Amino acid sequence: MEKGSKRQVVYIGLIAFVFIIYSLKLASIQLGEVPYKKMAINNALNKITLYPSRSNIFDRKGKLMVYSTQMYDLSSFPYEIKKLDTGLLCSILEIDLPTVRHLILDARIRAKKRQKNNAFNNSALFYANLSNKQFTLLRENIYRLPGFYIESRTDRQFATTTAPHALGYLGEADESLIVLDDYNQPGDLVGITGIERYYEKQIRGIKGVKTVWQDRTYTERGVVKDTQFNYPSTAGPDVISSLDFDLQEYGRLLLNGKKGSIVAIEPSTGEVIAFINNPDYDPNTMVGRERAKTFKSLLRDEQKPLYNRAVKGVYPPGSTFKTVMALIAMQEGVLSPETTHGCAGGYRLGSIRVGCHPHGGPLDLRGSIRISCNSYYCQVFRDIIDNPKYGDVKLGYAALEKHLRSFGLGSQLNIDLLGESRGNIPSVAQLNRRHGDRWKSSTVISLSIGQGEILLTPLQICNVAAIIANRGWYYAPHLVKKIDGFKDTAWDRKYKLKKFTTINPTYFATIIDGMSDVTKPGGTANGTGIADIEICAKTGTAQNPHGKDHSIYMAFAPKDNPKIAIAVLVENGGFGATWAAPIANLMIEKYLKPGVETSKPAMEERLKTSVIK
Amino acid sequence: MKYSPLNNSAQEKIDGLSIFLFIVLVIIGFLSISSATSDVNQEFYSLSPIAIKQLIWIGGSIVIIFTILYSNVVVIDYFTYGFYAVAITLNIAVLFLGREVSGAKSWFGFGGIGIQPSEFAKVATAMALAKYLGTYGIRFQGARNIAICLLIFLLPMAIILIQNDTGSALVFLSFFLVLYREGLPGFILISAVWLMFLAICRIVSEATGISSYYGYGLLLGLGSIMVFFARKDRGISGLITFIAVVSAAFYTIVGTVYSSLLQQYQRDRIELVLGLKSDDRGLGFNLRQSKIAIGAGEMWGRGYLKGTQTKMGFVPEQHTDFIFDTIGEEWGFVGAIVFLLIFCGLLTRIVILAERQSTTFGRVLGYSLACVLFFHLSINIGMTIGLVPTIGIPLPFISFGGSSLWAFTLFLFTFLRVDQVRK
Repeated sequence: MEKGSKRQVVYIGLIAFVFIIYSLKLASIQLGEVPYKKMAINNALNKITLYPSRSNIFDRKGKLMVYSTQMYDLSSFPYEIKKLDTGLLCSILEIDLPTVRHLILDARIRAKKRQKNNAFNNSALFYANLSNKQFTLLRENIYRLPGFYIESRTDRQFATTTAPHALGYLGEADESLIVLDDYNQPGDLVGITGIERYYEKQIRGIKGVKTVWQDRTYTERGVVKDTQFNYPSTAGPDVISSLDFDLQEYGRLLLNGKKGSIVAIEPSTGEVIAFINNPDYDPNTMVGRERAKTFKSLLRDEQKPLYNRAVKGVYPPGSTFKTVMALIAMQEGVLSPETTHGCAGGYRLGSIRVGCHPHGGPLDLRGSIRISCNSYYCQVFRDIIDNPKYGDVKLGYAALEKHLRSFGLGSQLNIDLLGESRGNIPSVAQLNRRHGDRWKSSTVISLSIGQGEILLTPLQICNVAAIIANRGWYYAPHLVKKIDGFKDTAWDRKYKLKKFTTINPTYFATIIDGMSDVTKPGGTANGTGIADIEICAKTGTAQNPHGKDHSIYMAFAPKDNPKIAIAVLVENGGFGATWAAPIANLMIEKYLKPGVETSKPAMEERLKTSVIK
Repeated sequence: MKYSPLNNSAQEKIDGLSIFLFIVLVIIGFLSISSATSDVNQEFYSLSPIAIKQLIWIGGSIVIIFTILYSNVVVIDYFTYGFYAVAITLNIAVLFLGREVSGAKSWFGFGGIGIQPSEFAKVATAMALAKYLGTYGIRFQGARNIAICLLIFLLPMAIILIQNDTGSALVFLSFFLVLYREGLPGFILISAVWLMFLAICRIVSEATGISSYYGYGLLLGLGSIMVFFARKDRGISGLITFIAVVSAAFYTIVGTVYSSLLQQYQRDRIELVLGLKSDDRGLGFNLRQSKIAIGAGEMWGRGYLKGTQTKMGFVPEQHTDFIFDTIGEEWGFVGAIVFLLIFCGLLTRIVILAERQSTTFGRVLGYSLACVLFFHLSINIGMTIGLVPTIGIPLPFISFGGSSLWAFTLFLFTFLRVDQVRK
C-alpha cells in the first residue's frame, strides 16, 4: 500500500468525527431540558379568546333591563413590537407618541401578569373599546401593524338606569379577582358589584377560543383546523330578575330630589320587586372607554352615588319598630290587644322623659299603632324586659334580643348582593359597654321606639313589613328569580327555605288591624292612602343627630293575601308621613294597578318635583 | 453492452449503493422542501409552487444523469479544461451581467429562474484539478506543479469572493483536504488547525476584552520551555523558535484584521457562534429559531408537515440553507441521526470508491467530490445547530435550488461514470 492510500483512514475518521460531534449536539438540543417544543408552539399559535355575551337580564315581567354590546379591542404582543409604524397607530387611535409608549408599557405589564397566570403566550390588551372609526381603520391597516390584532368582547348597555346598585357594573379584573379565579385574565371585564358580581360565574358565559396560526411577523395565517384548539363561546343564560322595570322607573321618579331608598319585596316569595337609591349614577356611563374615568369621578363625588344605601345604609327604624315590639310583648305574654295605657303627652320616669305628640284618651293596642303612641311602647318595652318571670333586666332583654334576631335583624339577610350591612341589634354586652353594668329598663328606654343603638338597613325594614304581611315568616330577599339552566342547592337552601320568627301567627291580627288604620282618618299617615287598596302601614321618624330627622314608612298591601311589602326612607325628610308614606303608597298603587293613572295626581306631582335640600 | 462503447476499459456495473443513497437524499430533500413551503392549513397533500419547481429541477437532473451515463468518458476527459474555462468565464461574467441576491452578485437571472455559476465552478474545478494531477508525469511536487494546483482552485475562489458570496468561496478551501491525499504534508493541515486555534483565541480576547498579552506570554513561555528541552538539537530548537515567531505574528495579524478590517456584522456573527454573545431578538434570532425548530422535534419529531417553525417562517431560508431544520423538527432526533447516517454513508462510500480508482484523475475527482460534500454538510448543519457561523451554503441534494442540485448531480454522476469504467 502506498503512503497515500493509508490516508483514506483520515478522511473516514474525519467523517466519523463530525458525525459524532453533530449527533451529540443534536442530542443536547433535541433531548435536552430546554422546552423548545413549547417555544415553537407559542411561536406559531395565537389563542384568541372569543368573549361570550354576558347574560341578558330581564325584569320579572320579561322586560329587558341589561344587555350586551359588542366592542372591539386592540391587542398586541407587546414584547414583539419592533418596527412599529407609530405614526400610523397614532393617527388611527388619535393619540400622541408618549401615549403610545405608555400603552406599550401597560400592555407589557398585563402580558407579564398573564404569563404568571399561565397564559398561552405573551399577548395582552393594548387599547380597549375601539370606536367605530378606529375599528374600521384598524381592520384595513392591521397588516401594517405586525404584532397587533383585533379582539372582540362584550360590554354592557342598560335599558333602565334606575337600578344601578342592584344590577351592578363591570370592571377590569384586578389582581385579587384573578388570583381568586384563574378563568379571568388581565383586561377581562368582570362584574364588580350587584347581580353582575354575585352571579358572575353564571352571567359571564363561557369563553371560546379561536386558535390561529401566526408567522414570524405575528401576522395571522388562518385558523388552526384542529377542533381541540377551537370552540365557540357560550353566551350567558337569560337572567330573570325579580325587579319590576316599570316600578323601578316610577320609584326613581318619585325619589327625585331626595336622598333615600325604596325597597319592595313580594312577601310570599322574598323576591325584591323594587330596589332604588338616590343618589345613584347612570350605569351607561360606567361602560366602554369612559368606565375608569367615570368611576374615578363617582368615587370623588360628595353625594356618594356609588353608595348602596338600601343594604349598606343603617338607620334607627323609629316608630316602625313599634310593630315588632308589640308582637314580641304579646309572645312574651305581657301584652294583649285589650291592654290600655294612658299618655300625658309623653312618658316620664324619674329624670327620663320620652315625648309624645298630642292625642286623645288612653289607647288600646290597635290604637297605639294607628296613633304611634310613644308612652304606650315605653310601657310595653318595660313590661317585656322587666318581666318578673326573668327576674333580671338583662335576662329580660336577652329574651327580647332573641325575638328580634328571629326577624333577621342584627345580621345579614343574605340578599344576593355583596357588602350587605348587618345593621345593629345591641347585645347585653354592648349595652353593658355603653351604659355600664348597672343599666335598667329606663336606661335603654329609647330602644322601645326604635331609637338608640338599634340600626336597620332599609332592606331590613322592608323585610319586617314582609314578615308582618306573612304573619310570621319570610324568605331571604333576593334580586334574581331565575337563571336559565342554573340549579344550585346552596342557592335553593338560601332562598327557597322559609324562615320563621319566634312569634305565634295569631298575634299578628291586631297589629295588622292597627296598621290598616294608619292611612285612614285618625292615623299617622292620614291622607296618603289609596282608595280601593287596603294598605297596612306604619310611619316612622328616625332621630338623626346630624340633621333633620329621617322620614320612614313601611307598609304592605293588600291586607289579605299581600302582594307587596315596601319600605321607604327619605333622609332628612322629617315625619314619616311627609315623604316616605306618599311615595310608598303610590308605589303600591302602581304595582297593584299597573297601567292605571294614579288616583292621587297632585301627590304624585308634588313628589316628582320636590327637592329636599 | 448496455452503455456506450468505452475506451478499452473493463466493463463494471455503476455503483448501485451510491445511486441508492443519492435517490434517498433527493427524495428527502423534495419532501422537506414541500413541507417547509406548504400551507399550514392544507387539507390534502398538495404541492407548493416551490416544491413543483424543485420537481422540475429534479427532472432536469435526471436528464443530466442519463446524459452522463450515455457519454463516453473520453469525451468528459476531453472537455474538462474547456468546461473549467467556461465556468471561470461565467463566474466573471456574472459580476457584470448577474443580479444581486441578498448582497451577493452571483446569479444569472432568466425570467423567474436563476442560475448560480459558482455551483458549477466546484465540479469544473474538481475536474480540472483531477485532470492536471492525472496528466502523465505530473505529481503534487515541485513549486510549479503545486502553484498550478493551487491556482486551479484559488482562482475561482477569488472570483466568487469578489461576487461577495463568501460561503460558496469558502467551499473551495476543501480542495486543500483533497491535496492531502495527493501528498500535501499533514503538518500543513495541522498548522492550519493550529492557526485556526490561534485565531479563535485572539478573537475571544478581542471580543471579551481579555488582554491579548496573555497569548503572547503563553507563546513565549511554551516556546522557551520547549527550546530549553530541545537545546541540544539546533534544528528542532530553531524550528520551534520559528513556529513561535510565526504564531505570534499571525496572532497579531488576526487581531488587526478582526478589529479594523472586518465589518461589525461580521464580527457579530463570529462572536455569536463562539458563544461570546447571546442576542435572542436581533442577530441571534435566526440561530435561536433554528434551534427551537430542531429542538421542537424532540425524539420522534412533530410529524411530517407538522413543523410550524419552518412553515411559519420563524426559521429563515427554511427551504434553502436551513432545510435541515425541517428534518430536525418533523422527524426528530431519530430522523436527524438517520439522515446524518445516510449522508455520511454516501461520503464514506465515495471515499472508498475514490480510493479504488486506478487513475489519478478518478481518485482526485472522487476525493474532491467527498471533500466538497463533506464541507457543505458540516458547515450547513453546523450552522443550523449553532456549531458554525451562519454561512449561507446549501445542503447538497436537499436544499431547494436547481444550480446546487444540478451541479452536485453532475459532480456525483461524472465520478460514478468514471468509476464505472475504471481499469
